[in-house]
Parts: sequence; structure tokens; C-alpha cells
Amino acid sequence: MGPLETMKKHYEQRDVAAQKWKKQGGKVVGYVSDDCPEEMILAAGLFPFRISGDPASGTAETDKYTESFYDPSVRSILNMLLTGKYDFLDYLVIPHASDSILKLYHQLWWIHRVDPSKQFPPLHLFDIVHTRFWQTGQYVRDQVRALKEKLEEWSGKEITASALARAITIGNENKALLKQVAALRASEPAHLSGVEALQIIGSSMVMLKEEHNKLLSQFLKGASQLPAQEGVRLFIEGSDLDNSQFYELVESCDATIVGENSSWGNRYSDDPVDPSGDPFEAIAERYHLRPSRPRIQSIEQRVAYCVRSALEAKAQGVIFFLYEWDPAPSWDQPDQAKALEDKGIPSLSFNMQKYAMSDRDRETLKKDVKQFVASLSKKKKH
Amino acid sequence: MSAAKGVGDQSKTGPVKDAKPLKSAMAAAQHQKEWFKNAQERVRAGEPFCLANADTPHEIFLAMDDIPIVMMQWWSAIISAKQLSGYYFDRMGDKGYQKNVCRYCALPLACAIEQDPEHEPWGGLPKPTLLLAQLSCDVHTKVFELLARAYNCHFFPFEYPAPAPSYPRWWERLEDDWEEVIGSHVLDLRVEETKALIRYLEVSTGRQFSHKTLLEIMELENEQEEYFKKIRNLIAETRPCPVSLRDQLAATMNLQWHRGTQWAVDHTRMFYEEVKEKADKGEAVCKDEKIRLMWIGRGLWHNTAFYQYFEEKYGAVFTNSMYLSIAADGYIRHHHGDPLRALASRHIYMGYCLRDPEWQLNEAKRYGVNGAVMIVASNCIDSVGNMFIKMVLEQGGVPVLPIYADVVDAREWKDEEIKAQVSQFIEERCMP
Repeated sequence: MGPLETMKKHYEQRDVAAQKWKKQGGKVVGYVSDDCPEEMILAAGLFPFRISGDPASGTAETDKYTESFYDPSVRSILNMLLTGKYDFLDYLVIPHASDSILKLYHQLWWIHRVDPSKQFPPLHLFDIVHTRFWQTGQYVRDQVRALKEKLEEWSGKEITASALARAITIGNENKALLKQVAALRASEPAHLSGVEALQIIGSSMVMLKEEHNKLLSQFLKGASQLPAQEGVRLFIEGSDLDNSQFYELVESCDATIVGENSSWGNRYSDDPVDPSGDPFEAIAERYHLRPSRPRIQSIEQRVAYCVRSALEAKAQGVIFFLYEWDPAPSWDQPDQAKALEDKGIPSLSFNMQKYAMSDRDRETLKKDVKQFVASLSKKKKH
Repeated sequence: MSAAKGVGDQSKTGPVKDAKPLKSAMAAAQHQKEWFKNAQERVRAGEPFCLANADTPHEIFLAMDDIPIVMMQWWSAIISAKQLSGYYFDRMGDKGYQKNVCRYCALPLACAIEQDPEHEPWGGLPKPTLLLAQLSCDVHTKVFELLARAYNCHFFPFEYPAPAPSYPRWWERLEDDWEEVIGSHVLDLRVEETKALIRYLEVSTGRQFSHKTLLEIMELENEQEEYFKKIRNLIAETRPCPVSLRDQLAATMNLQWHRGTQWAVDHTRMFYEEVKEKADKGEAVCKDEKIRLMWIGRGLWHNTAFYQYFEEKYGAVFTNSMYLSIAADGYIRHHHGDPLRALASRHIYMGYCLRDPEWQLNEAKRYGVNGAVMIVASNCIDSVGNMFIKMVLEQGGVPVLPIYADVVDAREWKDEEIKAQVSQFIEERCMP
């Protein structure tokens, strides 16, 4: 199996590497969102595994305990926790990355309160809070310290500065390689589809990073042989998409997704950890200051990031894809669309979208995407 | 859900009402109007003015020679009560915002974007010179950024560190043991932020913060909130219920906006004395009270008359809501020589405490309710978790009916349908 196929397999069967690690006697720490310092988990000798939802898994168990109107990907994660899909996790770190993710932390506690038969892995809340102020940085530093202590308790060994520095080096290498992958998409013509890009990037979060780096290096060596992607170049903005269903739909309409503002996409490889100085300080600074967290970034920052990224990816158009009950990015959308228009980049917006698409949803979306793509093709010819 | 039998056909023959509006509630409402008018004049004359979320320390502004401050949620309720929410949300939609935007916090924004004071209630909100909120919701960052843009002023955000899922029986500990209940690391951060706010206000307004005044304010507040506790306890134990929920809401909230002043202490005492007199005389919302109901969630600001319908139809009285209860259980702080830290502990998790299922159950038991009606706004993340309130109350023997509606947006309120739901709930689950 070639490197791309291997990464694709890990994206589609996300627990393969973690299960293998467990069989070898290792312990797996699940974490939610990209706001958790995975480098620290690795430095503790544990397997960092980013958990995600799954549109095909339904929400029947979640529906018994929670309302329907919050981030559907988080609802899906809860359903998977309740139905045993994540039983292989030894521990779980939940960062205060968004309201919905914080709710998940509270829900796990309350579910156990109303139904003590429900058990979950031991939890730790990483309280990353919101702003980039210096005072907040002090608080985040304390949170990094608390996470360190918890991981040491779980692993039974100290996280040394040298172990963390090594994990940072591995993680930064991964980000640098992923930036080369992003460049393949930004080139004209693009040499990678959006679906393939999601598979490459997403697999990085469910595999051991060193192994992923080897696969990426192998893959990039053969990159010159990759076929050109001829579709209309599109950039995706909006909700974090932890699956490829929308990308598959869009790319079946003579389009290629050349970039996105998503923590499951190109944004994941932004902002490497500063390798100089104290590694714990560097981790605290990176997770406190990195600017690209959509739910806490200002509209102005989100507009700038969207426009810059779309231009860098040489996108001909932008599609906003916003899940229902994911309000924060929806507040950015009117200003983002306006700023893109000012730069001559047309956009199409899909609001209040379902996490699990029905056939009817697909048909409607496809029709609109095709129309949008056709208008962009026409524009290009003129 | 099918309509319950006899909807609307018993209103003329139901239990006799014996409720006269509370004088203290009317006086508080009148005072609020006068205060607002005065604030408009002061701001016009060049004084600073702050628009803030309700879970922020307005005491700081009071301790700086009384800088006028208005709460977003109060303003939202006023716009809603004037039946203007539909107009403003339609305008938001015209500007490209999603249909399901958060209503409660976004209504003042919708109003601000329009910049049409003549259309606004009470002659319009003065132009703020500062915005203040804690970031207890992802959307606050966005709403306040847009407000700052609309008003061309600064937004001062407080962090919102994550609360613990639950602190057992916090309502019995907060007054004295607030450090332990809230957590030192959280208070350290909030105290630093509060000091930064004070410095910012001193620099930007030229006014001096008075520690002595803050001490006095904290004492006055404790005195006032003790009255609220007496009122809450009195209403909870009195059968039949002496004060309608509508009156409770009006009196409590208008008095709370002025907490920390001698006026508020005096009028809360008046509120207590009036309730006591009613209880002593046996005056009641319904002489023939049959059912006691609890209202869970925010007040139904666009239709506070809703509660009366069930009094007339079934002798079902809404006896309590979170507003008076949190005044009794969530505000009093013995500061142990550190008023700023005690103040920080008052506001930071107030919203979280309000939605604590264990506290809600405790209040349901205290009032001896037969059931609870819980309003759930699907556009607000704060409503996520209400199902646990339902589960905990029902495990505790209190049936709960969730109704899905917004407290400030009347456009989606289906009056007959919701009355039918509540009627059916009363008939099938609450009647003895």
C-alpha cells in the first residue's frame, strides 16, 4: 500500500493505529478539537488520538440526554462515547475550545449523575479560555501545568523538558510537511484533491506523528507524478468539517477544493510551536496565542484569515458551509462574503446544514454547487 | 401535540383572582424609567456610559461616582416588551445574518445597527462609551465586536474560565465560603481583570474608584438581598401564593438593577413588607389555588400576561422563577475584608448556577410545586443542559414540561398552541 492509500485508510478507519498501540500495551488519550496540546500527550509516552464525530453513527443515544441544538459534530462525539465506539480510550482530555465542547465535558458528568450505569474514561478539562491578553496567558500557563500533572499521573512518568522538546520537533516537522501538501493544492493546476488533502491531514491526528511524518515524506517525494486537478478552484469556509462528505459532493461537480479554514484541513498546520527556549512555556504560548481559532477570533481577524487564505490558494470562489447550531462562524459570514466580493471572489453560502446529509440534502446542495461552479467557469472563460 | 380539552373556555368561571398589583413593583418600574431618563440626560451632557451583560460587576461603576450602566438583557426585555423584536430581527435578516441567531443578546445589537433612536423604546439607548461582558458564550465575542463597531467604542471582555460541573449545595455555602465554591485560580484571574477594568475606567473617564464606597455598596447589597431571601422564603411557604410571578419579576428585576444603593434597600424592604402584609391578610393570586407551578428559564418578556391565563383557568399559579431565587441564594457575600474578590465571586458563575439542576430541584421542593414549565430557546447555547434539569426534577418527583420558544422574539410564539400544551400538562401530570 502506498503512502497516500495508507493515510486514506487511517482517515477512514480512524482507530486502527490506536488499537494497534493498545494491543502492544500502550495507553490512548482521546482529545477533542485542535486546542489540546497533543505534543504533551506524546511526550508522556501516551498515544494522542483526536476524536471526531461520524455522520453515519446517528444520535439516538445523545438524544436521550441532550438537546438537539448545539454543534452537531460534538453531539455525534457524545453519541459515539455513549455507544462504545470509543471504548478503547483510556483517558479523555476536553479543552474549553467552544461552548459545545465545554458542554460535552459537563454532559459526561451529568449523564453519570442521572444514570450512574453510564461510565466514561477519566476526564481532564484543559481550560484554554478565550482572549489573547497577557493575563489570560498566565492562566493558560497554569492550565498547561495542570495538564502536565494529570498526564504524568496517567502515564506514571514525568514529562521531561527534553521529551517535550522532542515531541515539539516531531509535531513541527509534521506541520512543515503538511504545509508542503498545502502547496500542492495551491499550485496551478492543483495536484491534490480536497478529499485527498482531508485524508492526509486528518490521518495525522489519529496516527503516531513519527509514522505519519515518514508517510508524508514518502508521499511528497513522488508528488511531481501526481495528476493535475482540473476542476474550478474552490475554498471552503465555515464550520469545522470532521468528515469528507461535503468535499466529495463538491468535487463531483467539476470542482477542486484547494484550501479551507478548518482545523481538520489546512489550518491544522498553522502556527508551529516555537522550538527555542523552555518547551512548556512554548506550548503555553502556542495554544494561548495562535490566532486561528474561529470561535474566539474576532470577525475582523476571521475576515482577514479567510481572504488571505483564499487568495493564497488562488481560489476562484468560496463556499460557506455552516452546520445548523454552530452559531459563531455564522456571525462572521456576512462580513467575510463582503470582503471576498471586494476582492472579486464570489461566494455561495449554505446555512443551517445537517451534519448527516440525506439524499435530498445532497441533491439540493449538488444542484446549487453545480450552478455556482458553472458561473465561475463562465467567468474564467470571459 | 393535540389541544387539551376546553382551552380558553374556563377563563370566566375559574378561581377568583385576588391580586392587586404590588405598589413596590410599580414604584420600582417607575424609578427605573426615571433613572433611564436621567441617564440619557447625563450621557447627553458628556458623562460616560456602559452597556454590559447582566453577569458583570456593575458595582464597580457605582463605586466610581455612579457611572451610568445598563444591562443588555434588561434592554433586550424592554425592546421585546414594546413588541419591537420582530422588526429588529427582520432587519438583521436583511443584512445577511442567519435566521437562528441568538435572540436575547443580539436584540440590542439589532437595535444598535439600525441607529434609529426614535424607533427605539424610551427615546433610545444612550450611545455607550464602553461595552462590558464576560465571554460565557462563543457568540459574545462576535456580538460585542459588532456593537463596538456600531457605537464606535471599546469592548472590555472578561474571561470565562470553565465552571466545575457541580458544587454540592453551593447555595448553602456561597455567602461565606465563596472562595472554596468558585475556586481560587478562577478568582485570581477575575480579580486581576477587575483591577484592570478599574484602571481602564480611571484612565478613560478621569474618575476615581473608591474602595470605601465599594465596601458600603457590598454592605447595602447584602442588606437588600437578605430582604429578597425573606421574600423568597415567605412566598415559598405561604399558601395560597400571595404574589403573582409577573409582579415578582417586575419588582425583583427593577430593584436588582439598582442594587448597592440605599434606594434599593428601602424599596426591597417595602417589597418585603407588602408581601408580608398580603400573606398575613391571606391575599392571594388565586384564592382557590389548586396547582403550584415553577417557571424555569428566563422571563417571557414579550408576554408576561401568559402566566395569568392558567390562574384563571385552573387555579394554577406560577409561584416562582429563578430571578427571586437567585437574588436570595446567589448574591449575598460576606467579603472577609476583600470586597473586590467577593464581588468577583458573585458574578462569574451566576449564569451557571441558575441552570444547576440540583438547585432547581431544591427550589421546586422549597415552593412545593406540582410541576414545572421550562422555556427552552433553541437559539441559545445556555439552553443546552435543560434536559438534565428535567431529568433531575423528574427523578425528584416534579414533572417538567419543556416549551420551545424565545423569551424576547414574539414572532415564533404560538400562544394557543403553547397554552394547550401547558393545559394538557396541568391536567395530565400536575393535578392531584
